[in-house]
Amino acid sequence: MAKLRMKKIELIALLTDSKKIIELLQRHGVIELCRNSDEELENTNVTAVVGEFEKFRTTVVQAMDVLDRYAPEKGSITDMFGGRTEVETDNFGREAMKLEKIMSAAGEILRQNKLIADSESRISQLEVKNDTLKQWLPLDVPMNFRGTDTTKAFIGTVPYAVSAEQIEDMLPEGCSAETVYSSKEQTDLFVICLNEAADEAEEILRKNTFIPISDPDSHTAAEQIKLSGEEISRLEKTIESAENEIKKLSENRREFKFAIDYLTMRKDKYEALSSLGFTENTFVLTGFIPEKYADQLRKEIESKYTASVEFTDPAEDEDVPVLLENSGFSSPVEGITRMYAMPGKKDVDPTPVMSFFYYLFFGMMLSDAGYGLVMLIGTTIALKKFRLEKSMRKTLTMFRNCGISTLIWGALFGSWFGDIVQVVGREFLGKDIGSIALWFEPMDEPIKLLLYSFGLGILHLFLGVAVSFRMSWKEGRKLDAVLDTLPIYMIVLGVAPLGASILTDVPDILKTIGTPVLIAGVVLLVLTSGRSSKSIFGKFFGGLYALYNTATGYLSDILSYSRLLALGLATGSIAGVINLIGTMPENTVLKAILLVIVFIVGHTVNMAINLLGAYVHTDRLQFVELFSKFYTGGGREFSPLTVNTKYIKFKEENYNE
Amino acid sequence: MNSIGLALAIIGAACASLFAGIGSAKGVGLVGEAAAGVVSVDPNKFSKVLILQLLPGTQGLYGLLTAILMLRKIGILGGDLADLSTAQGLMFLAAAMPIAIVGLFSGIAQGRAAAAGVGITAKKPEHNGKGIIMAAMVETYAILALLVSILIINNISI
Repeated sequence: MAKLRMKKIELIALLTDSKKIIELLQRHGVIELCRNSDEELENTNVTAVVGEFEKFRTTVVQAMDVLDRYAPEKGSITDMFGGRTEVETDNFGREAMKLEKIMSAAGEILRQNKLIADSESRISQLEVKNDTLKQWLPLDVPMNFRGTDTTKAFIGTVPYAVSAEQIEDMLPEGCSAETVYSSKEQTDLFVICLNEAADEAEEILRKNTFIPISDPDSHTAAEQIKLSGEEISRLEKTIESAENEIKKLSENRREFKFAIDYLTMRKDKYEALSSLGFTENTFVLTGFIPEKYADQLRKEIESKYTASVEFTDPAEDEDVPVLLENSGFSSPVEGITRMYAMPGKKDVDPTPVMSFFYYLFFGMMLSDAGYGLVMLIGTTIALKKFRLEKSMRKTLTMFRNCGISTLIWGALFGSWFGDIVQVVGREFLGKDIGSIALWFEPMDEPIKLLLYSFGLGILHLFLGVAVSFRMSWKEGRKLDAVLDTLPIYMIVLGVAPLGASILTDVPDILKTIGTPVLIAGVVLLVLTSGRSSKSIFGKFFGGLYALYNTATGYLSDILSYSRLLALGLATGSIAGVINLIGTMPENTVLKAILLVIVFIVGHTVNMAINLLGAYVHTDRLQFVELFSKFYTGGGREFSPLTVNTKYIKFKEENYNE
Repeated sequence: MNSIGLALAIIGAACASLFAGIGSAKGVGLVGEAAAGVVSVDPNKFSKVLILQLLPGTQGLYGLLTAILMLRKIGILGGDLADLSTAQGLMFLAAAMPIAIVGLFSGIAQGRAAAAGVGITAKKPEHNGKGIIMAAMVETYAILALLVSILIINNISI
């Protein structure tokens, strides 16, 4: 299966049907449109319409943001997994009719929001002003007091600390000063002078950096504070009523969601129109379609509309998009392939190649039956209970399969939440249960597991090499296929018993066979790897270079699989420590209580950390060790014209879902 | 009973968790700073950057694992204290060195790589996975060191 075969589609139909046909294609989501490049056909300009839809959409999205702030939706964990609401196609049309009402509600929300923002900024302005005015509270004349008939008054500040006496000393006869407020940085002064001394006093004050207060008011400070207090409470009431208004409008939330999706769809539809080519009465649509949907689509379109649908094979140099399709076993790990890169033109889909080992390695690294069970139960419930999006469903299925694998490995290694069975047996029942491993305990025989890890690693690598063999063979480079892979198999197989003998006892017979196989492999590699080079020196050094590359490359690749052991041991031993901490008290009751608490908290954390570790390192083993043998990637993912909705989903069948 | 041997072994266990832990703490902290910057702009990326932040944390776990294995073997955890000669004590100390030292430096280096990965997540969230893989490359060396530590501990006969 793997990569779906793509066809190029050319659809010619009547102009009057264009919107209906686009809508139909959008709902099926199986065609990726290509821009019309035929210069004899007209293009349409839809920028204005698209812009209009975008403007409406932005309004509603902003209104939703405001709603989320003032009247947040009551959400629960189930909503998170809930997926989109399903609607019938007719229903959607009816909802769309209400667009005008929805737009006015959205506009009203934005207006109320602006009112709130304006009021809030006015309030903070007033509060700042009040803060400065508070200093002037002791002064019981209006702030714009200029003096009486015979006197002149100055109200203002100097930016330093000074006493009334010091000021009076500076000023001429007939002046009196009063400090209203004083601090280190600032002194507020009220100076009153007889008219004849006023000019001189003003001059002196100015020289001493006296600044009259800005835009004074005809009220005293106390009155002003009272007035702005009243204004603030008025503004607060406005805010409150605006908030209530918004809350009332939040009943439109459902309609807003519809409107956002509806407008997105309309926008996409019009953008799709812009990639069509037109004549006076017809339009031409070109694009890519997976072959398996082609006939079905042709039948549907030709039965409903007057149209001609042609399918051709894409040309060699065309940028054909890639859509993956795999069996139920492999398809959950498609996301991992996608994370690396979509397969390029010459690649095979690596998903089915890696799927089995993906589950295997994941389970081996997490390797605790208890954690596997939790994963299995959790994901199964989620898959059963919630309506999930396709990609989420695949991810959860992947983790479910990994959970099964973890359960199996955990049982083989006798690890159920670490050694909880033994701990409970020893501490509470007074029985020594011993190992419950179906196979062996990795902690007791790490070398054994290490060798198995390397063994599985070698199988994994050989699988990658085999795929590259098949690719070369299919391309007709049969000699290359053999010469690029056979020496590698021989060298690795030959060296394996020798390497293993460092760590454990290996039957002599294997070592005796291994050595000649290794030597034959090395000779073959050195003699043939430089075959593409023309000169005899090039051939020889090319061979040596290949030997060096193979030796270092495969050695480090194989050693890299030791993480299967290391991560597995890490899970088990940390789980063991958690259980140990739980059983520290002497008193049995205390011990039981503590164990329950530590068990729940500790194992949750340990599972989370090791899940992440297993996931990351399984990915790494696939990407770095396996993919490097045969995979380049660089393809472009198939992105069809589809209903790109956030909240709602059509009940009508989408072929590609 | 030779208490110097035992003391050396305990120093070894302490070193394993100490230095690997420091490396992880530095690494995780480094990524955390970068991650906080991203989250301040787009809180939705929290879960993505959190994964990156956790990556350099494994060295600390490996140090802990090594320490536990050693403490189990010398009987401090659940068992009778083993009678260690000074030479055996030194062997345990030596066994702790790979994960202690490699854990320290690889934790910091991995933190740097992961912090750069946070940059990928900020600009191109869909390529987040590539940043994770790049950071995970560093960890290989911590795993190899852990392996050597475990092999030595396992093969010291007491």
